[in-house]
Amino acid sequence: MKPQDDAPGVHHPKAVKLAWALIAVTVGFSLLYALQYFLGGPLRLPVVARLYDMDVSPTRGLVAAAADDGSVRVWNTRRDWEMVVLPAHHGAATGVAFSPDGSILYSAGEDGRVRKWDVAAKEVRQDFDAGGDRLNDIDLSLDGARLAAVGRDGVVRVFDTDSGELIQAIGPGEQMGWAVAISPDGSKVAASDGVNIQIWDAVSGKPLQTLRGYCKEEGFATQKECEKADKRWMGHEKAVTALAFSPDGRLLASGSEDTSIAFWDWENAQVKWESGGHWAAVSRMVFNEQGNAMLSSGLDGKVRSWRLPGGKGSAYYEGHLSDVNGVAFGLAPETILSASSDGTVRVWETLNQKTVRIEWAAYGLQSEWGETLVYWMLFSGLVGLFALWGMWRFRPWGHLLAIIIYIWGPVVILGLPLLETLSYPLSYGLKLQVAWPLMLMSAWYLGLMLLLTHESVADFYEAPPGLSLSERLMMRSQTHKLRGTIYTTAVWLLIFVVLYSLLRRFNLDIAFMRHWLPFIMKGSGLTMFVSLVSIMLATVLALLGALGRLSKSSVANGVSGFYISLIRGTPLLVQVYIWYLGLPRLGIVLQPITAGILALGVNYGAYMTEIFRAGIQAIGKGQYEAAEALGMSRAQAYRRIILPQAFRIVIPPIGNQFIAMMKDSSLVSLMSVWELSYRAQKVGRQYFRALETFLIAAAFYWILTVIFQLLQGKLEEYMARGERR
Amino acid sequence: MTEPIIKVRNLHKYFGLLHVIRGVDLDVLPGEVVVIIGPSGSGKSTFLRCLNFLEEPSAGTVEIDDLKIDAEQPLRHQRKRIRQLRRKVGMVFQQFNLFPHMTALENIIEAPITVKKMPKKEAVQKAEELLDWVGLSDKRDEYPSRLSGGQQQRVAIARALCMEPEIMLFDEPTSALDPELINEVVDVMERLANEGMTMVVVTHEMHFARDVADRVIFMADGAWVEIAPPDELFTNPKEPRTRQFLAHLL
Repeated sequence: MKPQDDAPGVHHPKAVKLAWALIAVTVGFSLLYALQYFLGGPLRLPVVARLYDMDVSPTRGLVAAAADDGSVRVWNTRRDWEMVVLPAHHGAATGVAFSPDGSILYSAGEDGRVRKWDVAAKEVRQDFDAGGDRLNDIDLSLDGARLAAVGRDGVVRVFDTDSGELIQAIGPGEQMGWAVAISPDGSKVAASDGVNIQIWDAVSGKPLQTLRGYCKEEGFATQKECEKADKRWMGHEKAVTALAFSPDGRLLASGSEDTSIAFWDWENAQVKWESGGHWAAVSRMVFNEQGNAMLSSGLDGKVRSWRLPGGKGSAYYEGHLSDVNGVAFGLAPETILSASSDGTVRVWETLNQKTVRIEWAAYGLQSEWGETLVYWMLFSGLVGLFALWGMWRFRPWGHLLAIIIYIWGPVVILGLPLLETLSYPLSYGLKLQVAWPLMLMSAWYLGLMLLLTHESVADFYEAPPGLSLSERLMMRSQTHKLRGTIYTTAVWLLIFVVLYSLLRRFNLDIAFMRHWLPFIMKGSGLTMFVSLVSIMLATVLALLGALGRLSKSSVANGVSGFYISLIRGTPLLVQVYIWYLGLPRLGIVLQPITAGILALGVNYGAYMTEIFRAGIQAIGKGQYEAAEALGMSRAQAYRRIILPQAFRIVIPPIGNQFIAMMKDSSLVSLMSVWELSYRAQKVGRQYFRALETFLIAAAFYWILTVIFQLLQGKLEEYMARGERR
Repeated sequence: MTEPIIKVRNLHKYFGLLHVIRGVDLDVLPGEVVVIIGPSGSGKSTFLRCLNFLEEPSAGTVEIDDLKIDAEQPLRHQRKRIRQLRRKVGMVFQQFNLFPHMTALENIIEAPITVKKMPKKEAVQKAEELLDWVGLSDKRDEYPSRLSGGQQQRVAIARALCMEPEIMLFDEPTSALDPELINEVVDVMERLANEGMTMVVVTHEMHFARDVADRVIFMADGAWVEIAPPDELFTNPKEPRTRQFLAHLL
């Protein structure tokens, strides 16, 4: 069955040729775009600049932020946020700090250098060599005389800011240095070294203290032993990612990848206060001048404020679209500022935690989308080339492949950023400015899609010329079916994209969801277990019930009739309570899970009795007669002949019941069984984020259902083996 | 003189107030082939089904090979004896009634294994022989839905034979078949008769009755009208009703 490629007299419809041309153009553009992008060419989709750190100068009203394009953006808030771009580093800029009077700005970058800027003149005054490896964090002493920097090489470097001399290089530590802090008087420097924190004398480099985790009770060496004994582990479990000294230099605050924040009495290596801080790693922390408040920013997209003494969290600032990498106390009273990977600096009011101003370093798509799009262009270009070749050779798969990449791809790759961009807090003009390339591409792909699915092209590729009639008929039915599946999947994808964007508008706390997802997921096993055991119990009961209903015995008939009537006539909720709360009064105390399984099984058994009865009655009389004529007893006939056939009939409705039961199994949560809903409810109530946790639970119920439907399909296929195909 | 293998005495069957079988007697000798013909609604099938108690007779006795069942005693208490009786009697239905969830082979070995507790190996061997005998050894693993009517009926015959019955009952075995498929089933039945099986056959297949039957019974309104060897009954019927029926038929 090989199509002849150049059979004589083959007629190519014009639409097919047009499709070839359009795909060729699309492929060409995609590959060119990707190629020039990776070679550093000029064509780029507009993307935001990720901001990696920020600082403010209250005296001059300046705000500075380090951007991923290597520049430092400085806004003058006294001139209506006029922005100046300082081309500071090769690679990204990763840290900024103002001198106390605001005339000098220090910036650190991936190029391993620290630069000292004269802000007014926009010129570099000095260039400190900090080893050449990527720098992660810098900190300036309160008087501005000393600056500490740490980077990938793990070496802590202390500079004299006047002379630019390297006073001390300490380390390297065992692991990469994520965070550094210099004491207000500039005499001590602290840096992260994995889960531990090291503190040195800034001048001599002499180690002064190591802060490491410890068990609250003595006698437990490791964290595992400590937690096994149900004692509290103080300190961090994962790498320390943020550090800050309090203005009096007595407290050292540390934030970690494990999301927690600790306030250390560092001289005694004791944790004074500790708190779960964010839902993802803590990125930066800063104290206010008086030392009675601290701000922290996290990769969960949130800023939090903390009250001192006590280290209690006081407020959440939510709104950034991505990681928050820098925070600062305000230029004006009652405001704070934050900078994020979403490309914005936000000014917040502390009274009600509302955003009062958003400044964009550059307008554009979120930078992840910019990257995703390039990779997709490369991928779709290569696959498109292949599809084009297939189409040109009259192969149906070429057409199908083209449909897949040019429908599925745009729906997801363009649909998601487009919908997201349109929901940005921007004016319509600016939204359009950001989104127009996406809109243009969408229109282009829409045209391509309409052409590919138009009947003049689709019919042609359903059964291309050069084949015998029977081959073409066979191919037609095959490709037709496949195309249907591809379209249906495209519709699913589109609905998913729209639904996802809609959910994003709920302002869901994604980092929170990600953090608690594994915990809630652990309940799915129990949900599945409860449902499976219950459905087995229900099946047995239903079978007995149905046989009872069909039997000639008045006793069996009465018992099963009453069972069905009672159980179907009372709410499942009440039955759950009777099993769990009623039985103990008779001295029968059931495990919650057992009670739940009994309640569900008995309840569904009653409903399924009718299904089984119908299934059994659907088997023709001839089958009984044939079995009896062969000398089988009634029991043998049922077991071997009737029930196997009845089962096949009842499997779809039982599957339906099972799916219903899987969700009704959430009623078991009434008895504090740790299944999906109970976990979702627990976490949701504790953090006032019930919507988030229940959405997670819902997703898992859905996933379980989909898995089960697949299994059911297989089972039905097996049971239907005797059917005419 | 040999004893009859089937002895029916004064058999009655009521459906409600409807008197369907009005006290018939019948003796069938071993190896004999008896064909019952008659207009529809005359009670032929009901009579046949009374022989293995798929239909419960209202009165009278059925005795098969010394196993006597009196319909006047409550049949509930004679279940066991009825099952014993059914082992001696195979039945083939108009609608085949093969088990659709089993392959041809599985259909045949099912009863020997569950009822007679025959080892599976032996049952399979026997089933294969029977399939070969009915000419369907290549359909061994097909499900009934993939077989034609004639093939299904032949599997049904093999299924009944696998229980090694002494008597075979055929309830209009060819009535549900397309005309061109009838012969393959009739052919199998003829061969079975030639091998000496005792058969009671309800059919409209007059060729079979004429060629194979030892006796033909014409039944009408729940009673025998005429019993005679086929030559006699077909060529020279005594009763006017028989004549009338045959005239309509030919």
